[in-house]
Amino acid sequence: MFDRVALGIVGTAIVTFLLGWTTLFDRTSPDTAVAGLSLFALFGVAFLLAGAGLIAAGIASNVGLFKTTADQYTGLGTGVAFGVVGFATGGLVTTILFGVGATGSALAGLVVALIVTLGIAVLPEDIGTTLPVGLLALVWGVLLAAGFVDVGWVWDPPSLAATFHAPIVVPLVTIALSLLVAWSGAIVAEGFGSQGRQNGAYLMIGLNAFGMIAVLLLLILFVVRKGLPTLLEGAQFGPGLSISVPFLTKGVMLGQQYNGIFPAIVGTVWLVVGAVVLAIPMGIGAAVFLTEYAEQGRFTAVIETATNALWSTPSIVYGLFGYAFLVPRFGNRNSLLAGMMVLGFMLLPLVVITSREAIKSVPDEYRDASAALGVNQWQTIRSVVLPAAMPGVVTGVILGVGRIAGETAPILLVTSGAPFPARAPSILGSFRFTATPPFVQNEALLQASSALPYQLYAVITAGVGQEEAFGWGTALVLLLVVLGFYAIGIASRIYFRRKLHQ
Amino acid sequence: MSDQTVTRTNDEQQSNSLTDQQPTSHTVDAETDEQLVDSWTDYEFEGEAAITVEDLDVYYGDDHAIDSISMEIPEQSVTALIGPSGCGKSTYLRCLNRMNDRIDSARVDGTVEIDGENIYEGDTDLVELRKKVGMVFQSPNPFPKSIRENVSYGPRKHGDVNVGLLGKLLGGDDSEAERRLVERSLKQAALWDEVSDRLEDNALGLSGGQQQRLCIARCLAVDPDVILMDEPASALDPVATAKIEDLIEQLAEEYTVVVVTHNMQQAARISDQTAVFLTGGQLVEYDDTDKIFENPESDRVEDYVTGKFG
Ligand SMILES: Nc1ncnc2c1ncn2[C@@H]1O[C@H](COP(=O)(O)OP(=O)(O)OP(=O)(O)O)[C@@H](O)[C@H]1O
Ligand SMILES: [Mg+2]
Repeated sequence: MFDRVALGIVGTAIVTFLLGWTTLFDRTSPDTAVAGLSLFALFGVAFLLAGAGLIAAGIASNVGLFKTTADQYTGLGTGVAFGVVGFATGGLVTTILFGVGATGSALAGLVVALIVTLGIAVLPEDIGTTLPVGLLALVWGVLLAAGFVDVGWVWDPPSLAATFHAPIVVPLVTIALSLLVAWSGAIVAEGFGSQGRQNGAYLMIGLNAFGMIAVLLLLILFVVRKGLPTLLEGAQFGPGLSISVPFLTKGVMLGQQYNGIFPAIVGTVWLVVGAVVLAIPMGIGAAVFLTEYAEQGRFTAVIETATNALWSTPSIVYGLFGYAFLVPRFGNRNSLLAGMMVLGFMLLPLVVITSREAIKSVPDEYRDASAALGVNQWQTIRSVVLPAAMPGVVTGVILGVGRIAGETAPILLVTSGAPFPARAPSILGSFRFTATPPFVQNEALLQASSALPYQLYAVITAGVGQEEAFGWGTALVLLLVVLGFYAIGIASRIYFRRKLHQ
Repeated sequence: MSDQTVTRTNDEQQSNSLTDQQPTSHTVDAETDEQLVDSWTDYEFEGEAAITVEDLDVYYGDDHAIDSISMEIPEQSVTALIGPSGCGKSTYLRCLNRMNDRIDSARVDGTVEIDGENIYEGDTDLVELRKKVGMVFQSPNPFPKSIRENVSYGPRKHGDVNVGLLGKLLGGDDSEAERRLVERSLKQAALWDEVSDRLEDNALGLSGGQQQRLCIARCLAVDPDVILMDEPASALDPVATAKIEDLIEQLAEEYTVVVVTHNMQQAARISDQTAVFLTGGQLVEYDDTDKIFENPESDRVEDYVTGKFG
């Protein structure tokens, strides 16, 4: 009986939690009616039941109707957690009821928080973990079920510039309260005590993780839904194996039925490839020098701090550096090469940081074993240390590629030309060998190019010639390109791991 | 020899005093040992010395880890180094192939002669030295590579066998030589029968004992004269330990083996001569193994080998 009530409470809370999210993201409409009740009223009923159940369970345990392992006191941790809730509620209520300003409501909130914290901390555990949650759930349940707060409800506090509408506020409060109720229910389910607390924490963490992943998925789904129609516009599959997706294979031209973003895709791919080719050897070389050769001390500490700082330097600063330093040296115009170098410099610190970590984590036993065989240090690094560090290095590069592939600011400054070019740069076809230095020339590398994030930016800011849908299509392709790079990275990491362990 | 007689008299006096139920004072003990220490350079054995150590001191910063040790190690035999934890056995062993160079704070004084050359002289080629004096570590440390690559690692890096793409390009592909080398070394290390059908498998998939024998094979592949082993069986179970012990005894027919061990029975079983180190990095007694375990000169050594002190 006790267990079933607890499970019912947790189940109800999970349902309201999920429905809260779907409502927040417009997946379920607040107007949906089940058995003559609107969604919000349903929430209300659910919270009434759950709240009553929690309080009943708490009291039943406290008076000894059911044997539980509840502690004597709830404890300060839970008290403080509820104090925070009390702070928010107290502040809100005073603002709504008395219309006091920010300072007043903060003070009131603090007082409430203090009282709640201390009050709950000294309550017996079975009461302290159920009663406050149950009361909150009951209040919220009454507000919703009795229709005090319905779809049309608006709260426009005079002290704030913002207005709050029910379709946003109700799901948010519902989600938060559902978490609390689920937590409390989970504690009840295990009969309080350390088992109960463990169960509660487990559920909270699980729901949070689930929430995070759900938000991510929603984000991706959103982009896919918005972008897919554009991506597939004019696409033909068949006959046979012939597939044509003009959005991916064409540029933007007048008099063309379907325009596409091929030049930008090529631009982004070359930028990333160029940056990686530049950053990996330099980064690994620097990491090897710093970890294996340089004497560990102030010098390496300073370099380490500097690399960390470089990694968190805003990309626009790198862009400015490229604009002021590289662009004038490459024929005074924006070029793909300048973009590759700037992105390469951005990637460099991360490669150094992760490679250092990876190299440091290679066991010293390998180095000793190699040295004891009379193998010199460089050969040891090359044939034992680096292979063992490679998976870690690749992980770093994967992370870095994700950042630079979507980078807009530096490209805007050093690479961009026309945002919607007709043709893609042909890097491989433009190599020319000359008899005089520098012996190799590549016109295409020195030309401006478009790139996916830059194109997206152009659509958003100016809307030059392209409508919003084009932007969503671009965003989707950017996502796919980044995922593609991840896939390559993960595949190579698996390859290097295999080599170490098979 | 005369020195030894003198000390023996000293010792007899002391054992007399023991039978007289007089409490032994440490000063007396140390004095005896002091005189003993001088005499161990004179430990006489048949055959040639592979390694001659003279007045060796090692410091870690200000910490005096090895205190003026002189010792001759006979070739093609097993020399055991025993002593309580922290007395400097590993440090001493690492001096013999200059692995202490890899520790920044370590400073070594004195001479270690191998093949008549002082390895601490300025122009010693570390590569050649370590090819000549191999080392096996306490915990098995194979590389995360295949068994074959582990064994042929040394010769490949030294350019003695050229395999792979470059070898093929330069026309000198030694795959066959590598195969023979791997087989020979693994057989010497008594591992061949267990791994001959999976040479391309990763070495980390072997059991601890197999890994340790693989490390011995890896060391043998560079064709050393001397093999240093630092507690090579301490991480292994009794069966694997027995295999390593057999192996060490076999190896002594061809190689000079110096082995550090904490296990008295092990030292007694496998070694021809035993050196006892006591706290402070001093070599207290060095003699035939039988002598050390049955009738040691020093009381401290007797206490140690019988387990009363340690
Ligand atoms: N890398 C090092 N840096 C500084 N001091 C060291 C270092 N290695 C060893 N020592 C010190 O030198 C002394 C001898 O150490 P060593 O490792 O040679 O002892 P050991 O006889 O091998 O002991 P165990 O039987 O425990 O292996 C110890 O006091 C130890 O603290
Ligand atoms: Mg040791």
